[in-house]
Amino acid sequence: MPYILDCEITSHQEVAPGHYRLVAHAPEIAAAAAAGQFCMLEVQEGFYPFLRRPMCFERIYPDSVSILYKIEGEGTRLLSRFTAGQSINIQGPLGKPFPLNGAYQRHIMVAGGIGIAPFPALAEAIIAQLGKTPEVIIAARNEDLLLCEDIFQQMGCKIHLATDDGSVGKKAFASEVLDALEPSKDSIVYCCGPMPMMKATHAVCQQRKIPCLASLEAEMACGDGVCLGCVVEANVEIEAERMVRVCCDGPVFDSTTIHWESY
Amino acid sequence: MSINLEVNVGGLVMKNPVTVGSGTFAYGQEYNSYFDVSRLGAVTTKSLSLKPRAGNKPPRLVETPAGMLNAIGLQNVGIEAYLRDKAPWLREHNCTIIGNIYGYSPEEYAELARRLEAEGAADAIEANLSCPNVHDARTARGCTLVAQDPEQVQRYTEAIRAATKLPLFIKLSPNVIDIAESALAAEAAGADGLSLINTLLGIGINPETRRPILSNIVGGLSGPAIRPVAVKLVWDAARAVKIPIIGMGGICNANDALQFILAGATAVAVGCYTFRKPDAAMDVVNGMEDYCRRHGVEKITDLIGAMEMQ
Ligand SMILES: Cc1cc2nc3c(=O)[nH]c(=O)nc-3n(C[C@H](O)[C@H](O)[C@H](O)COP(=O)(O)OP(=O)(O)OC[C@H]3O[C@@H](n4cnc5c(N)ncnc54)[C@H](O)[C@@H]3O)c2cc1C
Ligand SMILES: Cc1cc2nc3c(=O)[nH]c(=O)nc-3n(C[C@H](O)[C@H](O)[C@H](O)COP(=O)(O)O)c2cc1C
Ligand code: FES
Repeated sequence: MPYILDCEITSHQEVAPGHYRLVAHAPEIAAAAAAGQFCMLEVQEGFYPFLRRPMCFERIYPDSVSILYKIEGEGTRLLSRFTAGQSINIQGPLGKPFPLNGAYQRHIMVAGGIGIAPFPALAEAIIAQLGKTPEVIIAARNEDLLLCEDIFQQMGCKIHLATDDGSVGKKAFASEVLDALEPSKDSIVYCCGPMPMMKATHAVCQQRKIPCLASLEAEMACGDGVCLGCVVEANVEIEAERMVRVCCDGPVFDSTTIHWESY
Repeated sequence: MSINLEVNVGGLVMKNPVTVGSGTFAYGQEYNSYFDVSRLGAVTTKSLSLKPRAGNKPPRLVETPAGMLNAIGLQNVGIEAYLRDKAPWLREHNCTIIGNIYGYSPEEYAELARRLEAEGAADAIEANLSCPNVHDARTARGCTLVAQDPEQVQRYTEAIRAATKLPLFIKLSPNVIDIAESALAAEAAGADGLSLINTLLGIGINPETRRPILSNIVGGLSGPAIRPVAVKLVWDAARAVKIPIIGMGGICNANDALQFILAGATAVAVGCYTFRKPDAAMDVVNGMEDYCRRHGVEKITDLIGAMEMQ
């Protein structure tokens, strides 16, 4: 059951240009949350912006959760103004978490830009629950925007870096880096990032016949399965048309569910 | 002081005057984890059609100042799945049910109303004659709604009226020159009440791509941004007809809701603000009771149309 709680912000810092990490004391939400799930934040009390903002859990601690976000527009700009000690209204946990499957030996996380956000929590869960250490491909525009490298290093994950400008790591797309890692039958891939990047990652996985779990984004009003605003086109048919809700059927989908040709 | 919040909307007895806007509360059960939804005066269902509908292609939503535009396109489970999977839960939990229906012809509306009554799956019918999102906006007259043509309103209402004895409410559109015309047409055809307003038509365009933001181009505007328009239309309609009105449009709290009642509504519906605050409708119920206590109002019905004009 999702909670709606005023939570005290315990820390809030800029971690890269235009990117912030917010940690909030939220014991109930943290206890109920799992990697891949998200919350809806009230970024201010008035009516502009009118809706909450969806953000996934970057880390889930015993008493708190952290959010890693990028300033995109007005909502995230207002969010960045909150300071430690203030409280913020959080609704969550929402959505379905990443399913964990111990049958696979190699767990590879593929992140594009701010798509890195759900992966620290996922890496932690894979280590704790499956006893395996995942690998991570971190792709970003440039060196300054590579996020969470230190966190994955501390966890002992193998890290593969890629930047659009080649300022650090390979000058390649995340999906190309994945392909070069030659994942095979014993591998499972998790991806999160811009649609084209996930589409390409899905294609690599299809070609290599390995499963791929994609964490999607969509405009959301309710976050809770009610408004039907957050749908994406899928290969699941309802009366000859195909729609799934990102908020409650996802945000994590088996990539074969999504009708990538529409994107 | 005990306060009586009960209202009778055209034969539908509601223990308090608060329901929810169709399409903003799914089928009730979904929000029961946040509060006991049976405490509402009534639960209004998402528009039900004869066949399930997948709705429009995404994107279907865009936020606007103090509101949102949506072009969901009436995605719904269809009447059969509602009767099988949704209505039993509402009944078990003693919810008063307003079954909202949408059809492509008077006959379809009539059939939907008949089914709901026969299966005991609604306590009142709300006919959505005003959904802006099921039309192809690319065609020149693509956004014409039944509710915009008083003759059509009358024809549709008569057909539904003949099919059911349940209290019948007609949901009207604000996208008209004179709401009194469609209100009078519904009343003349035997409606027991009116619901208004549905969303206002709007468009959002992304200048960077020069493309419409919604895949359907046109969407329906809801939220606090439309409230003054909605209060005015309720006021207009209430002066034109004798049947009761369920007022809605941007209600976020009891003060907002009371504006509608003072303008002439008998009941109110909380719409898209529920997305921001899932128990908003319950806040309205509690806030109304507080208001009555503060103002020494014994029964909420004393406030209907009680706006004071010098
Ligand atoms: C399940 C989920 C998890 C997310 N997790 C994160 C995260 O961990 N970190 C992070 O930085 N971002 C995340 N996002 C994206 C984030 O919600 C948007 O960047 C944010 O809502 C933008 O709001 P804004 O007001 O700053 O931007 P604006 O562009 O002004 O937003 C206007 C509207 O568009 C919506 N919107 C804009 N961009 C997006 C987008 N990419 N996805 C969904 N809705 C969008 C907003 O919700 C709002 O309704 C997530 C989105 C979803 C759906
Ligand atoms: C996402 C969304 C879906 C809606 N779906 C329906 C619907 O299926 N049938 C209907 O009669 N009205 C529908 N409406 C209109 C609302 O019931 C209500 O009339 C309108 O939103 C104004 O109220 P509000 O400003 O409080 O939201 C919908 C509104 C929204 C925001
Ligand atoms: S955000 Fe409302 S249904 Fe998904």
